[in-house]
Amino acid sequence: MQKEKEEILLPLLIREIQHAIENSAVIRRYFEKQQFHPEDIQSVADVLFMPVQMFKYFDLKTCPQEDVVKTLKSSGTTTSVQSRVPLDKATVMNQIKALQTILASYLGSKRRIFLVIDHEGINNPALEFTARTAGVRGLSIYAKQTFYLLKEEPDGNLVLNLPVIREIQEKYADQEVYVFGFTYIIWTVFYQQMKEASFTLKLRNPTVFHSGGWKKLKSQSVSKEYFNAQIGELLGCDTEHILDFYGMAEQTGIIFPDCPYGNKHVPVFADVIIRDPYTLQECKTLETGMIEVMSVLSTSYYCQAILTEDTGYIVGIDDCPCGRKGKYFRFASRIEKAELRGCGDTFKEKKNV
Amino acid sequence: MYKCYLSEGSFAEKDVVDLNAIVDRLNIARADLYRLPLPVIIEFLSKLGKRIILDGSKFQKEGISYIGMWLRKQNLEEICRINYTNLDITDQYVEIKPHVQMMAQPRGIICHWIAANIPSLGIFSLVLGLLSKNASLVKIPPENVDLVCWILKKLQDISVTWDAAEYSGNILVKTIALVSFPGKDVGLSSAFSSVADCRIIYGGGEAIASISRIPTRETCETIIYGPKYSFGIFDQDFIESKDMEQAVSRCVSDVVTFNQMACSSPHVYFFEKSKKSLREIGEMFAAAFAGVPDALLHQETPTAIIAGIINKRAYYLLSQEKDAIFPQHAGWTILLDRTVSLEEPVFGKTVFLKEVESLDPVAACVTRKVQAITLCITDEEKRRTYAKQLAYNGADRIVLPGTSNEYDQPWDGILSLSRMVRWTIIKENKRSKSC
Repeated sequence: MQKEKEEILLPLLIREIQHAIENSAVIRRYFEKQQFHPEDIQSVADVLFMPVQMFKYFDLKTCPQEDVVKTLKSSGTTTSVQSRVPLDKATVMNQIKALQTILASYLGSKRRIFLVIDHEGINNPALEFTARTAGVRGLSIYAKQTFYLLKEEPDGNLVLNLPVIREIQEKYADQEVYVFGFTYIIWTVFYQQMKEASFTLKLRNPTVFHSGGWKKLKSQSVSKEYFNAQIGELLGCDTEHILDFYGMAEQTGIIFPDCPYGNKHVPVFADVIIRDPYTLQECKTLETGMIEVMSVLSTSYYCQAILTEDTGYIVGIDDCPCGRKGKYFRFASRIEKAELRGCGDTFKEKKNV
Repeated sequence: MYKCYLSEGSFAEKDVVDLNAIVDRLNIARADLYRLPLPVIIEFLSKLGKRIILDGSKFQKEGISYIGMWLRKQNLEEICRINYTNLDITDQYVEIKPHVQMMAQPRGIICHWIAANIPSLGIFSLVLGLLSKNASLVKIPPENVDLVCWILKKLQDISVTWDAAEYSGNILVKTIALVSFPGKDVGLSSAFSSVADCRIIYGGGEAIASISRIPTRETCETIIYGPKYSFGIFDQDFIESKDMEQAVSRCVSDVVTFNQMACSSPHVYFFEKSKKSLREIGEMFAAAFAGVPDALLHQETPTAIIAGIINKRAYYLLSQEKDAIFPQHAGWTILLDRTVSLEEPVFGKTVFLKEVESLDPVAACVTRKVQAITLCITDEEKRRTYAKQLAYNGADRIVLPGTSNEYDQPWDGILSLSRMVRWTIIKENKRSKSC
């Protein structure tokens, strides 16, 4: 239940924040300038949030540099500056365990064939770590074998990887399979090209995870229902097995897939606060605000409260018909760049002295 | 298709395919306006101002009381005097040198492209149209129609008696047509532009660029009020003077007015190093913001702007050499640092306060995109010398705290009325005069 979870989560959050303040001059400064003391935190909503954009401009590491085993770098959608997320061994392990727990709730505990609707290069460790990479790597922990259903042409275009698709149909159609892809790639590349080629992949009711937003699909007037129906037919699965999930590189280890009732559930090691954009106070149930994702997974960076640039709303607490407990919410939209009009719009001709 | 909110003195909303009928009626109506002496027009407008002040509570946030004040007879006469030099010049020929007389003739139909950032902008622009005896075809943002129509209905009800003749406000209102249409519709925009004898374009960079490219008549005058930036400068003496507290309060008023969306809204204040620390000055601003009435302080702000505010606050808190002061809500934000730069505006009543060793490098920041500079220098001679430098570098207006948003003439470096008329002359026969 949410109340009991918060009772467990709160002391953990406070302890981790104290650790962050002790180990990071940047985080210490952030708290000191706001005259904020972790011991004053009375509820999870009291925790000072860090805007997600700050991962682009500051080293938010909270562990010694020598403990960092990996730094996730991801490009945002709004600027070309990369976010940097430093991970120590304990954090990596926590993230894997967390993801396993979440996925087990949707896939069970058995390893399966993993089909990626993307090209193999997306998982190349030498290349940039994007949200697509994070999705593939994160979800691959349940894979006994991974296949990439697309390939990248020399000009950068994605096309069907037909030999692999044929191999899947011939050898693995009756096996337990799960699928991951970015929503717009599934629709604009995979679905469109499969349709043009009159192919279908008749699999054994696979679970399809997809992520990455609906903006591009909405502009083509593709609703979530239509998307689910078409992809379900193409891959041979029930529409409730098509799970749109929400997540971000800065909170790797936590994903929020849709339950059969279309709600996103908050796992035990995390919380979600919806903040009114103006008052910055916690919104009431069904009020839309900015999504803040809290977690206790990291000892290597400030993950305890990250304010995203997405909006959503809490649907309810502890009473989703799917049976999962805790808060459940829905994603509403990304916050788009402000469209300013009039004589006061941005100052582009600047001289620095 | 155009949506028309006002034409021929009727406020009935209707769809219009072709502007020609509206233009024909405007041309008839402007002949009546032309015959009105300028003092009569000014009398109408000053009466309107008084009515607005008495009954404007509905539009407090939109700056209605300022419109009422701006429509004072004395102010309108001043605007005309600055632009025309002589107040008779729109009514009759006025001698400018021996045997040569000059008269300002209206250009005809002014097409106004009104930006949405300032709700009352349409009214200011329309008044200039009336003072130059032109008819006005206005592309108005639909969200501002209520305010503009509310004011024009008041004008319609006013009557003025002059030289024993009574005139109705409808003569003025009939010279105005309000329409809206999608600016991206090339056909509608081109047709709108093609009927203009004068175009007044208000807008951001993109809007100005695209509207300026729309073809128009060879004889058409185009007046552009593009994107501009405003800020303030304080010298040491002023900061340490007794005037400082009131000046800060007035600066905050400048920031709050128009929800910091105007080109005259300050975004940055520079402070020469003084006995007062930057933090102390920041606290003075914070106290002034805290005293702003809720209706003005808590105005609708897009979520994207708030996200920008949240990011800037965090950036300044995380940076070593910077600091931030703000309340729990996103209503106002003060950002403190020592970088000499005109920062990209964040909006939402966000001000950058900067301490500088000397004021010289600040003048070097000024470009032609700078509109108003609130200049607080105690020594008047020093202030004028520095102001000349700022103006040479590009600033249009050097103002005092609390006056940044006053809609002065010239504005953006332009004497608008003088460009809304054609300057015509008549030469007299020297011999006949001497006889």
